[in-house]
Amino acid sequence: MLAPVRSELTRLGQPRLIASWFGLMALGAILVNTIMVGFVARNGSLPPGAPGVTFPTRAQLEGASGLMVGLASASSLLGVVTLSMWAVATATDYSSGLIRLLVAAEPRRWRLLAGKVVALLLVTAAATTVATVVNLLAAPLAAAAAGIPTAAWGTDLVGVVGAAWVRLFIALSVWGVLGLVVAVLARSAAVAIATGVGYVLVVESLIKMAANAPSNWLLGTTLTAVASGGTPAVSFATAVTLAAGYVALGLFLASIVVTLRDVTD
Amino acid sequence: MSVVTTSGLTRRFGAVTALDRLTLELPQTGVIGLVGPNGSGKSTLIRILLGLIRPTEGEATVLGASIHAPRAYASRVGALVESPAYVAGLSARANLVSIARLRGLPLARVDAVLGQVGLLGRDREPVRRFSLGMKQRHGIAGALLSDPELLILDEPTNGLDPAGIVEIRELLRDLGRNGRTVIVSSHQLSEIEAVCDHLVVIRFGELVFAGPMAEVMQRTRQHIEIAPEHAADLDRLAAALDAGGWSVGSIDGGLRVAAAADRAAELNRAASAAGVTLSRLVVAQDNLEAIFLEMTGRVDGELAHDRAANGRQAA
Repeated sequence: MLAPVRSELTRLGQPRLIASWFGLMALGAILVNTIMVGFVARNGSLPPGAPGVTFPTRAQLEGASGLMVGLASASSLLGVVTLSMWAVATATDYSSGLIRLLVAAEPRRWRLLAGKVVALLLVTAAATTVATVVNLLAAPLAAAAAGIPTAAWGTDLVGVVGAAWVRLFIALSVWGVLGLVVAVLARSAAVAIATGVGYVLVVESLIKMAANAPSNWLLGTTLTAVASGGTPAVSFATAVTLAAGYVALGLFLASIVVTLRDVTD
Repeated sequence: MSVVTTSGLTRRFGAVTALDRLTLELPQTGVIGLVGPNGSGKSTLIRILLGLIRPTEGEATVLGASIHAPRAYASRVGALVESPAYVAGLSARANLVSIARLRGLPLARVDAVLGQVGLLGRDREPVRRFSLGMKQRHGIAGALLSDPELLILDEPTNGLDPAGIVEIRELLRDLGRNGRTVIVSSHQLSEIEAVCDHLVVIRFGELVFAGPMAEVMQRTRQHIEIAPEHAADLDRLAAALDAGGWSVGSIDGGLRVAAAADRAAELNRAASAAGVTLSRLVVAQDNLEAIFLEMTGRVDGELAHDRAANGRQAA
């Protein structure tokens, strides 16, 4: 099982891909921290139901976990970046014709898929670490600029940072799997990115506005709850369980398609 | 032993039958040429043998193992299918390392194949900066990584300059001599003729010919190419020879007469009797291209498929 993972990691080691991915993660963490801290300092918090974004209350921001709360707020933006990178890494195999070479070398296609998922999870872990480190640097500066008290931020630092990292990593991994599944189905990075972003920012928001039915099980809502460690509407445990269900369903679908579909590109 | 066998192998894509009950046996022998018009089913056959697509009907084996269990032979087969595939942002070396790792091969093989295709000095450059010929060599290097018993190369000389073509020709000959079987699909019939020991011709997904190249070349005939001194005499000359029972065809600026060398003087006299002076009279041998066109009926397979599909729709 190690061979497909090492092979995929070699292909993911393209300097431009890694620089874009990590650079966008860092930029996202800086942007959201700056905007979020400034906004909360001036206005309190966002009105509920804003699409794709959840800002903390001022009390949450000043609390012990306030140091890392920017990561949760940035999770949708960072999720879109992750979805895009997973989609590009997957769809490029088809558009470049590399899939022919890979399947001829390793006919057990499920191993190719598993190797890709594991390798992308490893890079996603590194990207999560980049976002976490940048957040650690950006949040105190943004708080100081906005006049937010940060006396409580040093409390249980390792626990707070570790929990934020784990929650963000889980959320980003699910976003990534979504990108991979759509890319496998469409064999196109552009379609995968448009579908993923369009669903979360447009379709899901429309469903929330149009239907009175409970919408807490929707993907975007679920992943925001995962990244935030749970919300008043969805507990962390429920969100993680739902996310695991989405991942299992998505990977099952992708493995069926990868295994059975002709490689004609 | 046969490196490839197929029995009633059929593959349909909707209304189009790409392979039609193809039955053949390819011996373990040097270099095998796989030729056919566009859309004849060559690529479909290669993809089925490599486990990329599944047949609609029929069976096939590669190195004695069923195509339904490609894992049994994947490590013993190397392939270059259509255009060379690579990760554009990676160096030639990194691309090959990724495939070597997937196949569980020692990285020393990467140096070996880079040397074999003459890319050792350029291996740190991104493949996207390579010329088409260098990309082609890189693709062949990827196919050679596992030091395979069977090498399947689809159009390996595509995009190569004349020097590159000669180089690849030598490489294919060497590979075929060392106990390895190389299947080469190509439109470059002169290359096939120069390199291959065995030939397979497919048309409309059906087998037209399979056998030693020597057997094919025994079918070659002599012909005589003539040209009148004045171009205006061409039609008159053709009509006179036709009336005299000669088998005449057109070529650029002249006529191609199906006749052996010992009838050259007779042909010259016939032209003279028709009042035409010849400025050129050359005895030539048919090449593989002429035989191929005769076998395949000068038909472009893709157009024929389109016509067949349209006909079915109209019906």
